[in-house]
Amino acid sequence: MARIKQDFGTLTLVMIPVAIALNIAVGQLIYSLKIPLYLDSIGTVLVGVLAGPWAGALTGLLANLIWGLSGLNVAYAPFAAVAAVIGLMAGLFGEGGWLRRWWKVILAGLLTGLVAAAISAPISAYVFGGVTGSGQDVLVAMFRGMGLGILPASFGQGVTSDPLDKMATYLLVWLIVRGLPSRFKARFPRAGGVV
Amino acid sequence: MIAVQDLTYTYPGAKDPALSRLSLTVPAGQVCAVIGANGAGKSTLCHALTGFIPHFFRGTLQGELRVADLSIPDTPLAELAGTIGLVFQNPFNQITGARFSVLEEVAFGLENLGIPREEILDRCRSALELTGLQNLADRSPFDLSGGQMQRLAIASMLAMRPRLLVLDEPTSQLDPAGTEAVFLHLRQLASTGQTTVLLVEHKLEWIAAFADRVLVLSAGSLAADGPPRQVLGSADLERAGLRPNRYTLVARRAQELGLASAAPLPVTLEQAVEFLG
Amino acid sequence: MSQGFSLYLARDSGLHRLHPLTKLSLAATLLVAAFALPGPWSSYAVFLLVLLPLAAWGRILPGFLRSVARSVLPFALSLFLIQGLLWPGGSPVARLGPLSLKAEGLAFALASTGRILMIVSSFLLLALSTRPDLLMIALAQRGFPSTLSYIVVTTIQIVPYFQGKARAILDAQRSRGLETEGGLRRRLRALLPLVVPLVLSSILDIEERAIALEARAFGRHGTKTSLQVLSDSRAQSVLRWAILALAPLLLVAGLVL
Repeated sequence: MARIKQDFGTLTLVMIPVAIALNIAVGQLIYSLKIPLYLDSIGTVLVGVLAGPWAGALTGLLANLIWGLSGLNVAYAPFAAVAAVIGLMAGLFGEGGWLRRWWKVILAGLLTGLVAAAISAPISAYVFGGVTGSGQDVLVAMFRGMGLGILPASFGQGVTSDPLDKMATYLLVWLIVRGLPSRFKARFPRAGGVV
Repeated sequence: MIAVQDLTYTYPGAKDPALSRLSLTVPAGQVCAVIGANGAGKSTLCHALTGFIPHFFRGTLQGELRVADLSIPDTPLAELAGTIGLVFQNPFNQITGARFSVLEEVAFGLENLGIPREEILDRCRSALELTGLQNLADRSPFDLSGGQMQRLAIASMLAMRPRLLVLDEPTSQLDPAGTEAVFLHLRQLASTGQTTVLLVEHKLEWIAAFADRVLVLSAGSLAADGPPRQVLGSADLERAGLRPNRYTLVARRAQELGLASAAPLPVTLEQAVEFLG
Repeated sequence: MSQGFSLYLARDSGLHRLHPLTKLSLAATLLVAAFALPGPWSSYAVFLLVLLPLAAWGRILPGFLRSVARSVLPFALSLFLIQGLLWPGGSPVARLGPLSLKAEGLAFALASTGRILMIVSSFLLLALSTRPDLLMIALAQRGFPSTLSYIVVTTIQIVPYFQGKARAILDAQRSRGLETEGGLRRRLRALLPLVVPLVLSSILDIEERAIALEARAFGRHGTKTSLQVLSDSRAQSVLRWAILALAPLLLVAGLVL
């Protein structure tokens, strides 16, 4: 409990809305550029890396709830747990010093993406009947056409898009954190594991 | 009101101190302007007087630092808020975002201080009037221009009625009319004796007209300290890396050409007229 | 007053005047109902008999229907096409060229769409008729941590600012010659000069924002007061408990039936 309190200084608190707004702004930018990525967890991963797993988890959770319950894109809300896990993992990788080497960064992204796909699949299957309501459903159709059940088809769709997206996200966050002035990074006790 | 003795402060990880053996006494109700070249330590001084140094920025602090009879290093930031106020340059960063309307944004600090509801409304209304925002009370704080946002930041601080109000380049986003309004309010505020104002500014003409006292910071220490006419007209200004305002420059040129008598040089339009007349 | 990026529609209606927590309780119970109610038709029944009348009472019916359609139709389309047509080994009902609609697939699509409809419309009803800041204040008055309500309200308000910032950076980089159209590789190369400056500049603002928040006594521990007074009544309080009590009942009913 004390550790959680320590993690939530005013600086961290103020960073979370900015990170969530960045999730949304970057996500929309990527969408308008028609790049086949989401990059809508970039703020979540950043908070996890700088402020630790709990802050990252909270950022992910609230990002999806706000995005979803505000009505902007209701589909996001049920996946709040996935987003929380993404933030949590980013924090753990950050603390573990994984962001010191570029190849570890990519690996961290890959692992996060796989876990995200694994947790998303049952949510997608149970709440949304296994579809995403987007172009990604072409993949779902393909897997269903091959005879896969709803849950495996959903997982198949997730596994083809999430790891790639998270690898790109982690790489961007790695570049960004390297670009931050060291005086700023020194403010975050957890960021000791990064660069 | 402010009692600083031999203050030396170094940012974490920095080699040289940002403030070096600075001593300063400011009585209540004074309007004190702080000027200096970039990097002289003006913002550092602002943060030190409001407690963000050392509580927020950490680093090493030596010497005595007392404001409103409180020892800054020994008083937590949460206790200082309300007694000491800070306004800085970037308007967007000072809008907390926690409230949906201008009125509520101004009220936010008072809610945190536990002020009763009726009093909150009174204080907010007068703060909005002082800053000319009364017609925008129901607008979203993010629906304002940069200048309006800055006036909102000032109003939010004014409502909290701090005993010391520190402003770090508050008028850089404001037009001349807005700037004059701010200076007038600060003057008025200080004249009640309830608030002391410390203002970091680059606009030397305004300082000359509105400040009681001018402090020149250079490389972390005080290079000059005195009434505006004395400090802004002296040669110390250039030594501190600053340029005198146009009234002073014109008068000095006139002096060099033998067209006017000796010092003190004027620093305002009225003084210049008198000097050259 | 603009409300950041929330969907709130201001109306003079009884629904709007209800205490925010009453509406939140309703949304929560409807959420449970979406999963607990048996059969594919119950969701549609609740939508028609409960949600539509409430939306009409709230004078938000056109906006409500539009938002619901926009959210639900993409799912409905995918569900009926994919699960309807590609249900492995099912009993065909109709032919669509080389493919055939399967009964099980259709039933599944119907049930799933109904559930999505209920979930989406419950929360849209809440979002359209409730000011987010008043909802957060209502929660804070019940003991919800002020840090969480700060995060929610601030996020809602600053998102448009960051969307604007992203657009500004896009325009600036384009005018410097950045290629954002064309092949995938070209568009990918545009990623870095767009995303990195946006994130870096936003992060550096954070220090000042934290200072501003502290200067407004946010970190103070004593009792805080509130400017906003939310209208509430005994009747509403009772109503809230009644609505919430329905949730476990629905769960039991769903398990038994």
